[in-house]
Formats: sequence, C-alpha cells, structure tokens
Amino acid sequence: MGNNSDELSIIDRFKNGEKVAFEELVLKYQDRIYNLCRHMLGNAHDAEDAAQDTFIKAYHNLDNFRPEASFYTWLYRIAVNTCLDYKKKPFFESFLKKTDEGEEFIDEPASDRPSPEKLYESKQIGLALNSSIGKLPSKLRTAIVLKEIEGLSYEEIADILEVSIGTVKSRISRAREELKRHLKKFTEQN
Amino acid sequence: MKCSTAHKLISPYIDGELMERNIKTLEDHMKVCDKCRAEFEEGMELHNLFAESDKFDAPYGFQTRVMANISSGKIKGSSGIPVLVRLAEAVVVIVVIALGVLSGSSLIKGYMPDKAREVMASLSLDVFDSAPPGSLGGVYLAMTEVKNEK
Repeated sequence: MGNNSDELSIIDRFKNGEKVAFEELVLKYQDRIYNLCRHMLGNAHDAEDAAQDTFIKAYHNLDNFRPEASFYTWLYRIAVNTCLDYKKKPFFESFLKKTDEGEEFIDEPASDRPSPEKLYESKQIGLALNSSIGKLPSKLRTAIVLKEIEGLSYEEIADILEVSIGTVKSRISRAREELKRHLKKFTEQN
Repeated sequence: MKCSTAHKLISPYIDGELMERNIKTLEDHMKVCDKCRAEFEEGMELHNLFAESDKFDAPYGFQTRVMANISSGKIKGSSGIPVLVRLAEAVVVIVVIALGVLSGSSLIKGYMPDKAREVMASLSLDVFDSAPPGSLGGVYLAMTEVKNEK
C-alpha cells in the first residue's frame, strides 16, 4: 500500500509551507475515514468528531511523516487510535451526544425499492449487526471493521495495528465467532 | 484434515487470504464434513451481511469544518483534551453539585420548620367544623343545647 505521486506531491507542498494543500488530502480520504469512524463508534455525531480529530492530528503531525511509509496506513492508524480514545471518554459525554441508531436511514431509489417487510427485516439485521459490532472488545472490533468494512488485507491491517499477521488472523476469526453468537441470539429472540 | 485445523483455515478462506496449498485441502474436507461446511456457510452469511451494510459518506461541508477547526486550533472531541484537564473538569462539576446539595439541605434545616408548620396547619381538617356557626346544623345544635340546659 504505497503512496501515489499525487499524494507525495501534496505532502511535499505541505512540508514546503503550502498548508492549504492539506485540504486535498482531506477531500481524498474523508469518506473512508468517516465510514471507518462511523462503524467503530456506532453513531454519526461521535463519528464526525473522531474523523475531524483524525485529520487535525494528521495536519499537526504531517511534517514528521516519512515519505517511504504509507500515508494511507498512517492516517488509518491515527483514525483507529482516535476512535479507541473516544470509547474511553467519560460516559456522560457519550450519553449526551448519542443519537438514535435509526437516524442514518438511506433511502433506496424507487425503481428497486424493496417491500416494507423486507426493508424492516434488513434494517433490523443491519441494526443487530451494528449493535453486535459495538459489543465486541475493541481489538476484535478494530480488526473486523478494517477487514469487512474497509476491505483491507491482513498485511495492511497488521501494518495499521502494528501487530503480526497471525494476530490479525486470530482476531478476525474470534470476532466472527463472537458476531455469529450475538446474531444467533438476536434471530432467536425475534 | 482435522476439524480443529479446518476451523483455523475457514476465516482466512472467507477473506481470500488462504495459501493456495491449503485451499484444496480445506475444500476437500468441507465436502465430507457437515460441521465445518456449516461453519463456513455461517461465516459467508456474515461476510455477505457486512457487504450489504450501509456505507457512510462524510457529511456535507466536512472538509470545510476540518480546515476551519485547524485554523482555530480546535480539537473536536475529548481526545484532544489532556486527561488532567478532563479530570479537573469532572472534579469541578462534582464540587458544584455537592455544594448545591449541601446549601439546599442547610436552607431546609434553617428555614423550613415554620413554613412546614404553616403548611401542615393549612392542610389540617381541624379547621373544618362539623357544623359551623350560622349553618343549619349549627343552628340546630345550638337549639338542642339550649333545650338540654333547660
């Protein structure tokens, strides 16, 4: 997962004093970083804050970034650590900011709109999956989100989390077991 | 292949991360082992569920807010605030609440007994006479009392 020349040129311009060039990096990565934070934290408000913090931290540390490293991995590492910090914040902050899980409902185009029953069922399963992800221990949650949501390879995840590929493999496998257990419980109850 | 070995290979197989030489062995094992095949199918169901899950794009104006926050030197979340500052904030909140509770309870102790007596007196049923003077009942009772005295 190397850097492309555009990215290196932006970083170079930034290091040479053209700080506004950073906005190009934000535009390029904002959707992926926000999506990661959204799945790690489970609500839109915290996800936006965490994604913003990720870019702000990246901005302040970009001068120390080594071009031989992967910018993408580096940015993801900041995002993951920021999300894990968010999970540790005082409970009342989280409580005050928590929004309803259903708020992010994405409307389907009318042409292939599923039936209300189907929509309800898939929405319920989607919510159950989100809730199950939230119940995972942070290490397992991070590994499965990077794999299943972000589609990264074991090598990339190992690089981001600074652990061995064997550890990544084991965490993903354990996360799957846990998720299956949670979802089974959900389907039995419904 | 033993089921315990197959169990370790199923997750990397789902992720497309299994080495070529293990793929055939695992697939052969799953053809004859219902338990491992069921485990694989469950894993694939979960994998497909993730594939169907919502993808969230950054909200409108996100990059503008990031650049504005950078200019103002602001960190949005709690992670940017040092732990000691957060701890100090929590202590201040607790002290303010404690002072409020203490001053409230001292006010109650110093002021409320008189007020409480007035309130209780106003609520008491003693103020109501069974036959107030001037009422028909009162006149009747007065007359019977006079009669009895005679």
